Amino acid sequence: MEFNVLIGGEGGQGAFSVELELTEILTRLNYHFFATKHYMSRIRGGHNFHMVRIADHPVHALNGGKWEMIAALDDETEALHKPDLREDGIFLSRERTKEIGAESKKLFGEIRAANTALVGIILTVIGVTPEKMAEAAEPGKAEWLKKSGDFAVRWGIAGAFPVSAAAVCPAKFDGNQALAFGALLGGCRFLAGYPMTPATSILHYFSEAAEDLPVHFEQAEDEIAAINMALGASYAGVRSMAATSGGGFALMQEGVSLAGMTETPIVIAVAQRPGPATGLPTRTEQGDLNFILHAGHGEFPRVLFAPGSIVETIELARKAFDLSDRYQIPVFLLTDQYFADSVHVIEEEEIPLDVIARECPVFDETYKRYRLTGNGISPLTFPGLSDALVKLDSDEHDEEGKITEDPELRKRMMDKRLKKMGLLKQEAVLPTFCGAMDAAAVVLCWGSNRLIVKEAVERLNAAGLSVCALHFGQVYPLTPAMIAPYRLEAKKRICVENNATGQFTGLLKRELGLAVDHKVLKCDGDCFTVLELYRTLKGLLT
Amino acid sequence: MEPKIETGWCPGCGNFAIRDVLEKVFADLPILRNKIVLTSGIGQAAKMPQYLDVNYFNGLHGRSLPPAVGIKLARPDLTVIAYSGDGCMYGEGGNHFIQTLRRRLDITILVSENQVYGLTKGQSSPTTALAVKNDLSPGGNPNLPLNPLALAVTMGAPFVARGFAGDKEHLKALIREAILFKGTAVVDILQPCVSFNKINTYAWYRERVFKLERPLTDRYEAIRTADLWGEKIPIGVIYRNDEAPCREIKEIFQVPLTKADVASRLHMRCVMMR
Ligand SMILES: Cc1ncc(C[n+]2csc(CCOP(=O)(O)OP(=O)(O)O)c2C)c(N)n1
Ligand code: SF4
Ligand SMILES: [Mg+2]
Repeated sequence: MEFNVLIGGEGGQGAFSVELELTEILTRLNYHFFATKHYMSRIRGGHNFHMVRIADHPVHALNGGKWEMIAALDDETEALHKPDLREDGIFLSRERTKEIGAESKKLFGEIRAANTALVGIILTVIGVTPEKMAEAAEPGKAEWLKKSGDFAVRWGIAGAFPVSAAAVCPAKFDGNQALAFGALLGGCRFLAGYPMTPATSILHYFSEAAEDLPVHFEQAEDEIAAINMALGASYAGVRSMAATSGGGFALMQEGVSLAGMTETPIVIAVAQRPGPATGLPTRTEQGDLNFILHAGHGEFPRVLFAPGSIVETIELARKAFDLSDRYQIPVFLLTDQYFADSVHVIEEEEIPLDVIARECPVFDETYKRYRLTGNGISPLTFPGLSDALVKLDSDEHDEEGKITEDPELRKRMMDKRLKKMGLLKQEAVLPTFCGAMDAAAVVLCWGSNRLIVKEAVERLNAAGLSVCALHFGQVYPLTPAMIAPYRLEAKKRICVENNATGQFTGLLKRELGLAVDHKVLKCDGDCFTVLELYRTLKGLLT
Repeated sequence: MEPKIETGWCPGCGNFAIRDVLEKVFADLPILRNKIVLTSGIGQAAKMPQYLDVNYFNGLHGRSLPPAVGIKLARPDLTVIAYSGDGCMYGEGGNHFIQTLRRRLDITILVSENQVYGLTKGQSSPTTALAVKNDLSPGGNPNLPLNPLALAVTMGAPFVARGFAGDKEHLKALIREAILFKGTAVVDILQPCVSFNKINTYAWYRERVFKLERPLTDRYEAIRTADLWGEKIPIGVIYRNDEAPCREIKEIFQVPLTKADVASRLHMRCVMMR
């Protein structure tokens, strides 16, 4: 059983507050749900809509079918979304929501109460009793919530779509929270950034954490400064991150190259949005894979992660800091607006909590920052801990860290840095498989599409189609071992991506010689829904 | 005598004198050498850290300051000095110069001021005078020169000074004072470039520089003094404000983050759509 509700309104009208309050209470009431939104790049006006899927089982994507309920805070909601309402669905028209507003104001003396009343109505529709609501209410809002059931009763919609609460100790995370939380677990203590949607909530998370944890957030004057600050902090001994979106990352590129040359650990989170240029600032895309893959002049090793679930995001963010430190390389965390602005429920026991502490080895005055070693990894230490001086140089350098133009040494230093790539390949994070090994077709995907694809494939399987899915949380480097167990060459191969040209499809070909039979692409700024993918894939499979 | 070191500088370059001065300053600072970090960008001046025995972060052109900020915020126990040329500090890194002064950190900013892009062979820098001719401005530099000292005072830097590579004793006292000053200290150092600046030579400066007797404490008087150029060029502390508080920096390096700390981050309010 599930219940899909859409709340539409102008920016500033309260649809977002309704989503926040509803998801908060659903979590406290042990419901499984998934929430995401579609919003415009403005503060007031326009038309935004918030979508919440509530179910008696885990859900991690938009269903894409008809809505059980639509609440209209503006006129556009009716025109745009009412055609997608189920025949027996509930439509709270503009008049109805105005009525809720007026009555709540009269009853409670506050217009804010109208948002809470709408939350209460939705909860009543799925069968939550006033008593339960009162228990889970935000402070001071119990009465508002309880009373709101009256509207539902009056309109005959109480319990119209009952959903049972089946989550055990649920915790909710949005994508950027998971990324920032994982960064803390990875020992990240310093974040520098410059606000840019959809990465700003990562900065927000750190600025808040800095209030009471040994963590620092610095708002930089621009993204160039941000990455250079983060590299400074990393050099000084603190695990550091820079976070931005494609446009800001364009400015950070010199810093990526600097990290490559100076072998300074850094993690860079890039929350993608549609480009080119300013593009669609508040919509989603997976259009920056090639850019990030090639960003920074010169040749040096790097790793790109593109997690697709909350737990995977936490784990890969944590791992990013560990890898970055051990190999002294830039590691990227790719996310996108869709994942950043979606809320998932996970169960508390799934949440990793172990923090990685950084080691600070101490050396004597013979220390050389770029000592040539067998595996290319030089011992890393930080200034001011001993007599060892730490000399970092963006020019080609000798072992000590001094400028050199000696061709022989240059070659040895290049070899040293690039040698790390071989070791990194041995540590590659394996993709996640779902379905039957002997399926006739495979859907390949990366990043935020993981759980949309998973559900679409499960539905296809239920409809008797032989298909499985393989999701890449590590998108670079790609290694033969990552796909070896799945006999992909014997299957029909379909790659699903949120971009116009199929960048990952190209990468699979280049790195693994794996050709894809069909690309399913989308670049209108919206995420895929399960139903949409189901239909498209079904068309390709039959 | 200092041991002879290999450098990438031209014989006669003002940077040699500055290097000697820094060596002496570091030798008798009440700070352990391993606690000093020099950051620099790219240029002839920016090679300075390579010829001194300290920790350094020799980063990219224009970017001596952001790493200095990151280092200081991560490790307030370190003495952080950013060193670069006029092109690096005021041109490519001009915005960082302005914004770093606003951050109220205890760091020192030293600049080899030769009014030219030395390493790239003599183009105009932000401080090149109007109408000066060079390869890329054969008709003469069309731009007004930037006044780094007036800019620094305007931006609220609490310690702003000018030194001259031709007066090592004076420069030594100045740099020492700047490093020991608690707050952001800027020292623009007149550094004759014998290869590409045939105007602002040692002799040219010697005829013009005069020493300020004591630090100015009035901002407006400081700006007026910073504006003097041409006939008379002041050297010394142009502005000193001991009342400006530095920013408090929290210890984060090696302060443990516990499981309870991270657990406290669960069940947080979602802050999305930004
Ligand atoms: C991004 C970038 N642009 C240009 C350069 C080339 N470049 C190197 S040094 C320099 C100017 C140096 O002038 P200045 O900072 O005054 O130092 P000087 O050599 O005069 O001491 C330039 C333009 C570079 N290294 N990086
Ligand atoms: S070019 Fe000028 S500044 Fe550079 S080393 Fe030679 S003399 Fe010095
Ligand atoms: Mg110069």
